[in-house]
Amino acid sequence: MDCRDVKTIALDRLAGEADEAARRELSAHLASCETCRREMARLEDLWTVLGTDADAEITPEFRERSLALIEEETLRRRIREFQPRPRARGFVRPLLQAAAMLAAAGIGYLVARGLPSASGPVPAPGTRAAIATPSAGVAPTLNPASAVPDLAASPRFSNVSYRPADPDGRVGIEFDVTTRQTVVGRPEEPEVARLIAYLVSRNAETAGEKSRAIALVSEHYGAGTTPASPEIVAALSATLRKDSNPGVRKKAADALATFPITPEIRAVFLEALAGDKNPGVRLVAVDALAASAKLSPDAVTIESLREKAVDPQENGFVRAKAASALKAISF
Amino acid sequence: METRGRDDLDLLERIRRGDTGGAAELFERYAPALLRFTDRMLSDRASAEEVTQEVFVKVISRAHQYDGRAGVASWLFAIAANACRDRRRRDRRATIVPLEAVAEPRARGEGIESSIASRQRRQAVRQALSELSEEQREALVLARYHGMPYAEIAETLGISVGAVKTRIFRAVETLKAHFSEGESWTAAT
Repeated sequence: MDCRDVKTIALDRLAGEADEAARRELSAHLASCETCRREMARLEDLWTVLGTDADAEITPEFRERSLALIEEETLRRRIREFQPRPRARGFVRPLLQAAAMLAAAGIGYLVARGLPSASGPVPAPGTRAAIATPSAGVAPTLNPASAVPDLAASPRFSNVSYRPADPDGRVGIEFDVTTRQTVVGRPEEPEVARLIAYLVSRNAETAGEKSRAIALVSEHYGAGTTPASPEIVAALSATLRKDSNPGVRKKAADALATFPITPEIRAVFLEALAGDKNPGVRLVAVDALAASAKLSPDAVTIESLREKAVDPQENGFVRAKAASALKAISF
Repeated sequence: METRGRDDLDLLERIRRGDTGGAAELFERYAPALLRFTDRMLSDRASAEEVTQEVFVKVISRAHQYDGRAGVASWLFAIAANACRDRRRRDRRATIVPLEAVAEPRARGEGIESSIASRQRRQAVRQALSELSEEQREALVLARYHGMPYAEIAETLGISVGAVKTRIFRAVETLKAHFSEGESWTAAT
């Protein structure tokens, strides 16, 4: 063995790569060469010094974070691979949106035409909601079908306030038109529902007024209580689509989320999920759509949730919620 | 080794099927070694953790691309080496956190003096390693700290066995020169 080969073979030995013959040859050379012995000793020292560098250890926090990330990524991968039923991308969603808008417009038109006027027929007393006008401190009870002003004329109600339901389940709605009036009636009565829808969608001018009107809806309509009328759904949908205040939109979304899902409600939530600027609203949309898809998985909803779950631009909470929502859906 | 290789392939198959348990098991099996590797390549604990996580995220998305030509371990280290290179390239434009700024947990039962000494040793070794080129450091770290055979290092780094030996040889020469310039390396022990 030549002294020039020693370094290479010595390194092979340190790295566990030298075979038996090479090791024997190296030992024989070192026994007879002082210079190479010193070189070998230096290399061994260096190898040992390198070994004193402590290994980085996995901490419990790192393991926990990593396993959570791994689960999330595996799930995302699964979602990416999910193939919804074939659909013509690009025009179905606009068509659905257009259909939803047409439906909303149609309902609005029917509502406007079908609203009773103040001079309309008076229903049988005792069975319908009523309007009370204060007189010497006593609020007289009037039938809303005859006493609610003509909503088609867009009257402006001011100082609107709400009374909780009485033992008969009748809610009270007080407002000023020319005089102070109070409508008292059960939420399921069409006139009361129309009045509330009007207060949500057209009368309320401030965020506070809208929020109070929506709170009344949330309190008295929804699953397990009174089914919301199409007018109320349309009013809340319009609020969710157009209101400039995110808090109001969120309240409208919360209220809509308590209703049994219909194509119109699904459409408005899909729009909100895709385009609402507020992540809080989009979170409500994810929840509502996920709940609906759990009962009846439809490709448009699942695809929309999937897009959100993998959208790097989306808010982290929305993305995570969409991902966990999909996890809970069997598809 | 063969059994482990088969187990690794089973885990990759489970990951391909979207089984979160498969990825978690692969993490438990390889994360300690990968973290050691990324930590020595980057000399920064936080970056090393991020890159190690990145490796597993990539494995999840690329499990279907694994063609079996290299062993699973080599494949993982290859991903880690690439991720470290990317990170270092990116970090060249960013502020580098010096090693001494990164607090290392003291080993259980370790005295303060011993802790200081081990930190000094660590700094001395890391300082020396930082003088190596990226290529030399990769080869040396895999050989010295992971006991990886030359053939596997070659597979991991996509180079010949001869190139592996050359890189390790040059790395060792650089380290010898580094320690010769300053105090004796035995002072680091």
